[in-house]
Amino acid sequence: MKHLIPECEALKARLPQGFESTLVLPCLRRVQEERGYVADGDIDALAQYLGVPRVQIEEVLSFYTQFRRQPIGRWHLQACHNVSCSLRGAGSLLDRLRERLGIEPGQTTPDGRFTLSTVECLGSCGTAPVLVVNEVYHESMTPEKLDALLEGLE
Amino acid sequence: MPRIFINGHPVEAEKGQTVLQAALAHGFFIPYFCWHPALSVSGNCRICAVEVEGEDLDIACNMPVREGMRVLTDSEAVQAWRKRMMQFITLNHPVDCGICDKAGECTLQDYHYEYNGEPSVSREPKVHATKFFRLSARVLIDNERCILCSRCVRFTHEVSRSRALGIQNRADSSLVRASEDGRFEDDPYSDNVIDLCPVGALFSPSLLYRHRVWYLQATPSVCPGCARGCTVRIWHRRPDWALHALDGRQNEAIARVTPRENPAVNGPWICNKGRDLARIFERPRATQAMLKGEPVALGTAVDAARRLLEGARRPVALVSNWGSNEELEAFQRALGGRVRAFVKEDFSPAPGEPVEDDLLIRADKNPNTAAARALFGDAPPAFEDGTDLLLVWGEGLDFSRLPTRVPIICLNAYLQPENGHADVFLPVSVQTERAGHYTNFQGVVSAFEPCFAKRDSVAHAESLFAALASPPGPSP
Repeated sequence: MKHLIPECEALKARLPQGFESTLVLPCLRRVQEERGYVADGDIDALAQYLGVPRVQIEEVLSFYTQFRRQPIGRWHLQACHNVSCSLRGAGSLLDRLRERLGIEPGQTTPDGRFTLSTVECLGSCGTAPVLVVNEVYHESMTPEKLDALLEGLE
Repeated sequence: MPRIFINGHPVEAEKGQTVLQAALAHGFFIPYFCWHPALSVSGNCRICAVEVEGEDLDIACNMPVREGMRVLTDSEAVQAWRKRMMQFITLNHPVDCGICDKAGECTLQDYHYEYNGEPSVSREPKVHATKFFRLSARVLIDNERCILCSRCVRFTHEVSRSRALGIQNRADSSLVRASEDGRFEDDPYSDNVIDLCPVGALFSPSLLYRHRVWYLQATPSVCPGCARGCTVRIWHRRPDWALHALDGRQNEAIARVTPRENPAVNGPWICNKGRDLARIFERPRATQAMLKGEPVALGTAVDAARRLLEGARRPVALVSNWGSNEELEAFQRALGGRVRAFVKEDFSPAPGEPVEDDLLIRADKNPNTAAARALFGDAPPAFEDGTDLLLVWGEGLDFSRLPTRVPIICLNAYLQPENGHADVFLPVSVQTERAGHYTNFQGVVSAFEPCFAKRDSVAHAESLFAALASPPGPSP
């Protein structure tokens, strides 16, 4: 987390003094972007840097399900299972993913390639069902498109 | 001084007060869970809502008083609100009062009978969560009972400053948890969260399932753990509910210790050492008078001590700073003229014990040093030549440091190896068996009352000193 300090300093400069706890969220996001997850050491380092109690960072991490405390696979597949996507076939999409990858939502394949998650609305109901692979939206998914997509992911 | 009206009664509120504070100060009760006079306003339980005439309902704990405002604390709208709030709070509550240690002194239980009285309105299965989850070695949590008022969390952030508790996850998965670095384990004030908890969520593993509060009675007392002298309540079995079968020792055991609120000394808190007074008072007791280790009757030992005192020309006494004001004065009155007396430190900080902090804990681990020093000087590093009798009152003295061949009269309440080495040993009562006062380091005097009866074979030091001062011979 050390090399992120200049960035955090820039964020700090935008806030009045005594608002360090406001920086917990943006700093954690940057840490996760860099490492892929938030390690225990990152929490200690951030608590020390911001001068906030460690428990406050733990609260933020557990409040937002987007934060991860463990490493995940190279490809993070996030399938929406909210209303619109479910009506347009998210269920069979998920079944296909389970079958192809051999894992349940929340698990990572033993070779470390894929992590499967189910998520709530991704704000793309017009192109449901949606599957997000790392940061990229794949819209109006069908089992065929899914097969083609998985072939291309190393 | 804003003048407000509560249920039509004019009330002179203080500037800066909230409606809740003004109401409570003037005898109008408004229910509350998350609010606490010594903690910040959190406003999450919503049970303290009141109606302001001409306005909406809002929570009283966060409502500043305004000149002329007309508050209703029990209107139909308020009653309906409270009932709905209680239904919300108890939505997932297990209602396991029958096996909950808090039953009988539980705010949730009281308010349920007062403001709700109906079973959960949820048709869904109740949410399950961890039970007996360990926050530290001293504090467990039942997350199903927890109503997430956050009092315990705010206590560690604002009072004990360990900042060790937080609420993890969100919505109905929220859980009070200790931080992963284990800081709650080292918080010397952690047990206060158990008293603060308005429901039965937080509890001590050492008291779990051992007592029903309605079988207990609280005796006002003073913690002797350090020179702060926090006022406490010592809880023990009610005499009218004394056990006649099972283990009779339970009738004379300390069930728990809680703070007795006292703005002059400790506010509403005490430290964990104060919770563990049983560890001090329930050590094995000395109950047998002895002459050089041989058991004798108390009267015989007192007479032997009188003879030693009468025959001594340069007697020296080491006075316990665990003696009450009354005992110290009795000593001064009876023996002060004939014996050169010095204050003895009964206890010094134990290894690992927090020595001193800026909240309550003091480095002097004795309750009455201030009063003892006011009467007697500090013990000299060495005893003068010619000392021909030593009277040692209390514990914590290494007898090997004493001059050899000088007779020793020893007064102690606990079973300790030194007792047998004294020429005369006199067993005395402990604080929980007598009334008295301690003077703390600030000069504040606090009273304690007896919890249990003294055994006949031990003496109260206060009356013993007068007996020692009278001439030898059979007691009158």
